[in-house]
Amino acid sequence: MPPEVALAIFLLPFLSFVVIAFVIRPFLNNRPQLSGYVTIASIGISLLLSLWVLVEVIKSPGHELSMPDYQWLAIGDTAIHIGVTLDALAAVMLIVVTSVSLLVQVYSQGYMRGDPGYPRYFAFMSLFTCSMLGLVLADNLLFLYLFWEGVGLCSYLLIGFWFHKPEAARAATKAFVVTRLGDFGFLAAILFLYAKTGTFDIAELYVLAPALLSATALTWAAIGVFSGAVGKSAQFPLHTWLPDAMEGPTPVSALIHAATMVAAGVYLVARMFPVFASSTEAITTVAIIGGFTAIFAASMGLVMNDIKRVLAYSTISQLGYMMLGLGAVGVAVAGGVLEPEHGLMLGVAVGIFHLFNHAFFKALLFLGAGSVNHATGTFDMREMGGLRKAMPWTYLTFLIASLSIAGIWPLSGFWSKEGILAHAWESTPILFYLAMITVFMTAFYMFRVVFLTFGGEYRGQSEGSHGLHESPLVMIAPMVLLAILSVVSGWLPISELLGGESHSFFGALASPLAWASLILAGLGILLAYAIYSKKWLSAESLRQRFAPLYTLFSRKYWLDELYESVFVVRILIDGLFAAFHWFDDRVVDGVVNGVAGGTVAAGRGIRRAQTGQLQAYGLAIFIGILVIVACLFIFD
Amino acid sequence: MNLYLLAPEISLCALALVVILLDLFIGRKWILGAVSIAGLIVPAAFTIALWGTNETSFNGMLVVDQFSLFFNLFFLVSTALVLLSSTEYASKFAAFRGEYYALVLLAAMGMMLMASTRELISIYIALELTGISLYALTGFLKDPKSSEAGLKYLLLGAVASAVLLYGMALVFGLTGTTHLEGIKAAISAEGLLASPALLMGIVLLVAGFGFKIATVPFQMWVPDVYEGAPTPITAYLSVASKAAGFAVILRVFYEALGPVSLDWSIIFAVLAAITMTLGNVVAIWQTNIKRMLGYSSIAQAGYLMIGLATVSALEPGAIGSSGPSALVFFLACYALTNLGAFIAIIAISNKIDSDEISDYSGMARRAPLLSLALALCLISLIGIPPTAGFMAKIYIFSAAVDYGLIWLVIVAVINTVISAYYYLRVIRVMFLGAPLSEERVPSSGALRAALSFACLGVLVLGIYPWVLLRIAEAAVRMFP
Amino acid sequence: MAIALEHFLILSAILFSIGLYGVLAKRNAVAILMSIELMLNAVNIALVAFWRYVAPTLLTGQVFVIFIMVVAAAEVAVGLAIIIAIYRSRETVDAEQIDLMKW
Repeated sequence: MPPEVALAIFLLPFLSFVVIAFVIRPFLNNRPQLSGYVTIASIGISLLLSLWVLVEVIKSPGHELSMPDYQWLAIGDTAIHIGVTLDALAAVMLIVVTSVSLLVQVYSQGYMRGDPGYPRYFAFMSLFTCSMLGLVLADNLLFLYLFWEGVGLCSYLLIGFWFHKPEAARAATKAFVVTRLGDFGFLAAILFLYAKTGTFDIAELYVLAPALLSATALTWAAIGVFSGAVGKSAQFPLHTWLPDAMEGPTPVSALIHAATMVAAGVYLVARMFPVFASSTEAITTVAIIGGFTAIFAASMGLVMNDIKRVLAYSTISQLGYMMLGLGAVGVAVAGGVLEPEHGLMLGVAVGIFHLFNHAFFKALLFLGAGSVNHATGTFDMREMGGLRKAMPWTYLTFLIASLSIAGIWPLSGFWSKEGILAHAWESTPILFYLAMITVFMTAFYMFRVVFLTFGGEYRGQSEGSHGLHESPLVMIAPMVLLAILSVVSGWLPISELLGGESHSFFGALASPLAWASLILAGLGILLAYAIYSKKWLSAESLRQRFAPLYTLFSRKYWLDELYESVFVVRILIDGLFAAFHWFDDRVVDGVVNGVAGGTVAAGRGIRRAQTGQLQAYGLAIFIGILVIVACLFIFD
Repeated sequence: MNLYLLAPEISLCALALVVILLDLFIGRKWILGAVSIAGLIVPAAFTIALWGTNETSFNGMLVVDQFSLFFNLFFLVSTALVLLSSTEYASKFAAFRGEYYALVLLAAMGMMLMASTRELISIYIALELTGISLYALTGFLKDPKSSEAGLKYLLLGAVASAVLLYGMALVFGLTGTTHLEGIKAAISAEGLLASPALLMGIVLLVAGFGFKIATVPFQMWVPDVYEGAPTPITAYLSVASKAAGFAVILRVFYEALGPVSLDWSIIFAVLAAITMTLGNVVAIWQTNIKRMLGYSSIAQAGYLMIGLATVSALEPGAIGSSGPSALVFFLACYALTNLGAFIAIIAISNKIDSDEISDYSGMARRAPLLSLALALCLISLIGIPPTAGFMAKIYIFSAAVDYGLIWLVIVAVINTVISAYYYLRVIRVMFLGAPLSEERVPSSGALRAALSFACLGVLVLGIYPWVLLRIAEAAVRMFP
Repeated sequence: MAIALEHFLILSAILFSIGLYGVLAKRNAVAILMSIELMLNAVNIALVAFWRYVAPTLLTGQVFVIFIMVVAAAEVAVGLAIIIAIYRSRETVDAEQIDLMKW
């Protein structure tokens, strides 16, 4: 395989962005649909090339292709190289990004039809796909960070896509600010690692970081990297931006805030896994944050009424699972229970396998929510109901995805969730119990959504049930494809490719752990059925009985308010404005008053020389010449 | 005499004539803009076809080498961006569009000639061709401010020309030739190294060219002219005209006055320090964004002059961050950045009908993409990564450090910090201020295309500057 | 007394200075324009003198002078046009009063 293929995968969406932004949007604005076609074509080719890469990676020994790298920057003795990694991890991520992106773009053609910002939408989507692919391919932290910020920027632009809506603009800003908090740590860690090891190259850091850094320094560096992942993957305590990010168009939520970008944090931990696994404290932090986030977010998902917010909390929770999977194996490696050469690959396999499966079923759930919204015009589940009759395809695909996320055998979610639970059981039992409770909660809230949305009778006021209609084929087709993937993606030997365990189709059912989680999931579904379908239990009376819990969950533990008032308002807004104000007050005015330096006063003084008098300017020219001549003859 | 070597200039001249002729016959004036922009492809194609040539013609007056071809392309791209940003603006002088476009093209032709001649008479004529076109363009709006700007520019420009000519006359009188190579040979052969008359001539040349690049103390015209001129012309002045000045300075001082480089490089070093400091500290006080960018462009000229001061650092055949290559690279980065900033300002100011920074309050909500683009350009002007401005500064500073001009780099870094204040103030106003109205600020497709090109260029050069840097190094390689 | 190069150069310098004085001291924009012409003509005298005494075999000096005259004429044409435009909008051509833009 020529090395240009990897570049092409990444550059094609960029090309699409350039074409849309510089050709279609300025000159062909009357034919906006072109932008959709260009995007789909470019990402489609990227997908084919990614498949080629995957095949080559599978065929190659050690599942890794060596790629040439180029010197990018040389200032003095410092040389920074640029290159791509093409190992199994990157190949799998390429497939996830290109395939989900492609299906979402197809779907968007229907969902975004008639939107005045249609070309802008596809331009941003192309740019996002390009940045995300760059993030996956980057073989050094500097470039990874560059694309990391790139996807953040696209996320910001797309959350605020309908920027005339104040909530959207607010949510976009919130997402940007909150993730930036994590990124400070990440950037600091990158620079710190560079200062200590002299390299940005990730493969070199695997060896050099544990060798050259003291144990404490390594822990802090790893935690710094992890703080970036916490922000990006919306882990506790930086999770608050993701539910608000649902203000963006739904396909954006599906692609960026469910399948790919938020998974970048998990990818980062997986990519840096050998570094993490060298520090027990760091990897334990990853496991604890992941395990706690999983149950914490699920608890809030139990009570939300907005279908997209339920899915958002579910995403946070599932990302927590992935972190837990990475962390659990990593703890075992760091503790010496697992041999590093096996354990390092195993950890990545456990985490990324779930990422892989999750990308498909979660994207599908979001697309389903979008489809429902397309018909009803709302995301509020209290105004839905009975949609299974009007929207059979949406219902069927949504049901498959729900079963998959609940971890029902033999759908994809089952396989990867089993891996995580098994390893949590072995290394971190407390987190295992939390994860088991989360299994129950996940099944419950997903089927609460299913029954509230599709079961019963239509409760919307606007048009009545006869106005409801199935979405067009261009939206249904990608959903059906994703539904197929949600079933079979767990059967693919992704885990083996990444160096993890293999599963046997029926053999998995022999484990008691599998049965325990299946039973818990079944109970969750049953409870949801009892409350929301058969109404054996009244949701209202339950709510009153558990009023304090309900309030706690539905107010999201008051964390938003806390952050809002303490952090955003007090520190950021007040602080920032105060800083500016202080700057104006002290530095600018202060300088004028002669407190410090003469810069500004000098500026004002010199400004007076600019009298507007043409002849004064002429005089300045001649005095200038005389002064130069005088100086030259004096100093010569 | 190989006329083909002059093909880019001739085709550009022909294009200007075609535009004037078309103006007589067609009613739909927007075609003129389209023709001017599309027509630039012809000189550009000739330039690219000539790439790699290294020949002189017309008795050594015309030289076609990497340097002149690089600047040909540079001027053509700048002109295209300026014309793109003028298409909407031109409605302010609807009846005179043809003349406007033709003058812009003729000015471009003058600039191209400035970069590709090595003989004093031709340099003077090219300079005046550019100058006179730009005087007329500056006063084009015919409102009091524009006329005032035109008059100031013309009178001071003519004075500067007179000074320049006096310098040229002195050099001619001392050496008996107007050819740069001949001058160089004469200086070495006749032992003029310590001649006070030659030194006087050099100072007068510095003053004459210094007017073009707006270095202290020949910068006084800049803020007034920039404020009064039609905004696309302000952009043109701040980028193309300034670049032409630097190109011609590199030619003259390098090719003709190389033997006395110790004398003039110190002049440039001191003027660079004063220029950037003055530009930055006065810019802090500006309330009009065009005027602020006028001072900012004075400051940027100061940074650029570091490259002139470092000129003699270049060992023959050495590769790396030499003064001239850093200067040429800085020019390209600065051109994209400043054009981007001005285009964004044209788009915004045209709609809100004000150049006051306070009226940009909350612009991020009325025109998010325009504000973002403007912010990007301002960040690049400060020199923060990952933008072109950062790379440009890194290169020009490291060239100066290599040459031993540490004090100048320290001054420049302090200046960079000062400059952050007034650039960031605009960003703060746009993103944190309350919008003055809810009305959206739309922009035309041509403006958006030009702005996108500029911003993309700023980012690309900030992330992957190598291709252009190699070209810049190749462009200055023929300097001894 | 034979007239040598120095005499021409001194004449040229004096003429240049008179022109410069006019540029800096005259109030009328047209007069300033005329003073600039004086400066250019001072340069012309120097160039012709240099040609005659330094390089009489080449035509360079004379050609230069002709070009300067041509260009100066063009410059004056544009200059007068702008002055007329200013006079129309403000009814003055006093350089001191043309100071809308400053600081």
